[in-house]
Amino acid sequence: MSKITIPLGPQHPALKEPENFMLVLEGEQIENATINLGYNHRGMEKAAEERTFLQNLYLIERVCGICSHSHTTCYVTNVEEAAKAEVPERALAIRTLIGELERVHSHLLWIGVAGYEMGFETLFMYTWRDREQVLDCLEMLSGNRVHYSINTIGGVRRDVTAEQKVEVLKRIGNLEERTQYYIKVALEEPTIRARTANVGKLPYEVAIERGAVGPTTRASGVKRDVRKDDPYLLYDKLDFSLITHDTCDVFGRLVVRALELVESYKLIRQILNYLPEGPIAVKVPPRIAPAEVLNRYEAPRGEDIHYLKTNGTDKPERLKVRAPTLANLQSVAYMLEGGWLADVPLVIAAIDPCMSCTDRAIVYDRKTDKKQVYDWEDLRKLGIEAYKRKGVDFRKL
Amino acid sequence: MSEFEKEKELKKLLEDKFGADITAVDVRRARRVWLEAAPGKLIEILEFLKTAGYDHLSTITGFDEGENLGAFYHATDTHIIATIKVKTPLASPRLPTVTGIFPSAISYERELEDLLGIEVAGLPPGRRYPLSDDFPKGQYPLRKSWKTADFQAAVKAAKTTEAK
Repeated sequence: MSKITIPLGPQHPALKEPENFMLVLEGEQIENATINLGYNHRGMEKAAEERTFLQNLYLIERVCGICSHSHTTCYVTNVEEAAKAEVPERALAIRTLIGELERVHSHLLWIGVAGYEMGFETLFMYTWRDREQVLDCLEMLSGNRVHYSINTIGGVRRDVTAEQKVEVLKRIGNLEERTQYYIKVALEEPTIRARTANVGKLPYEVAIERGAVGPTTRASGVKRDVRKDDPYLLYDKLDFSLITHDTCDVFGRLVVRALELVESYKLIRQILNYLPEGPIAVKVPPRIAPAEVLNRYEAPRGEDIHYLKTNGTDKPERLKVRAPTLANLQSVAYMLEGGWLADVPLVIAAIDPCMSCTDRAIVYDRKTDKKQVYDWEDLRKLGIEAYKRKGVDFRKL
Repeated sequence: MSEFEKEKELKKLLEDKFGADITAVDVRRARRVWLEAAPGKLIEILEFLKTAGYDHLSTITGFDEGENLGAFYHATDTHIIATIKVKTPLASPRLPTVTGIFPSAISYERELEDLLGIEVAGLPPGRRYPLSDDFPKGQYPLRKSWKTADFQAAVKAAKTTEAK
């Protein structure tokens, strides 16, 4: 049989993320895979050199729609280290709290996407519904669902009140119960195992050789987690386990993420019960003396690394950002080779490449020139009414 | 037990092995070791580090210091990051590829080529990354001499001509 080359992407090969895979096929089997990237290059590193440290905080938040807190935390840690600022412990605790809530939201999102890619759409709907609980926590604490903007140079912008603590703990309780169910589903449901076992294999040695990071590498049995290896924020004071799995396939990546959720709940409870008293921010002068700093952060997708060089002005001399997906893509080529064409979306989705999301709607009425913002409750009400007009009453079901 | 024991151990290990070939070896804080080396020694140092357990190349950061371009290679054993600074003259910027040691470096090295115009000797041919295919050749945005405003003006001018 002659070999054929087909392009997959850049229009969402798995998630709605532009990346292109050139696949050389021998029948249904993939012989070779080449990855082409750069469709989303926005020149942020250059743009950062033209903005002040504070302005950059908002730019860096937009590197990623999901790990927004990961990138800003890594960035402000660098700025504060360069400025030799002493950040209050309460601020560090709040940053850690938001970081773990972000991990929960990201992992739940991924489990849904994985369910969707394996044709198990009920799982997708369940996890995305539950994810609303953690998004509510984030909105309550920071005012925003996705770009939390909780960080500022020298600390955080908002404090956590006693009432918020109670609300977050309540929701975490619900989520933990749901997560236990997902773990049971992942481990016992035969369709999940059949669809994910031995798909997208990445052996231990290859994971190290190709520099894989995060849950992708941990599912290949590699014990690497920046939170443990190079502790930042409050992680050296908190008690949690490093989750690994030894099946080296998509199934392992599912199990690692599901079990990491439980660890995150544990961390969130610890932080909320620990929260030291004190101020939430210190003032940092706008101009920072020449320095070079390098910091890492364990984003939901893996190791995120930022390099910052300051030059005595209020703008950085050089800022470098390496997000975890770039490190993981080299492993995707390996995972695809020798596999089947039909497994491609699942394998790509299994490293959890980034995508953005938001679900607030603004309706603009042209006739009256009025804008109205609908929130979740309004949209829900509208949905129920629309179905009622069609003769379906959800309240009776 | 003195502070930064492991970091100092790495410093001593490198100094014993490479002597005068490496300069400015500095333990800046816990888990951060910085050093400077000539481009000719880069491969040897990274190979040595890899056998010493520094088997993960976190990333490569390119820079422009005016007369010199260059790159930082951040190798880590997951705990300590050893950052090797390598400089190359602006007139003929050239660095060797490290993909022989760290295959994952390929996208980081393409970034050096595309954004800073540093020729990476030995890099396999392939599509440019991360700039788009129609980005003008010979323009390197991360160089300090490259100004965003000039580029925006050029794009605007090109569009006006197109419309005519």
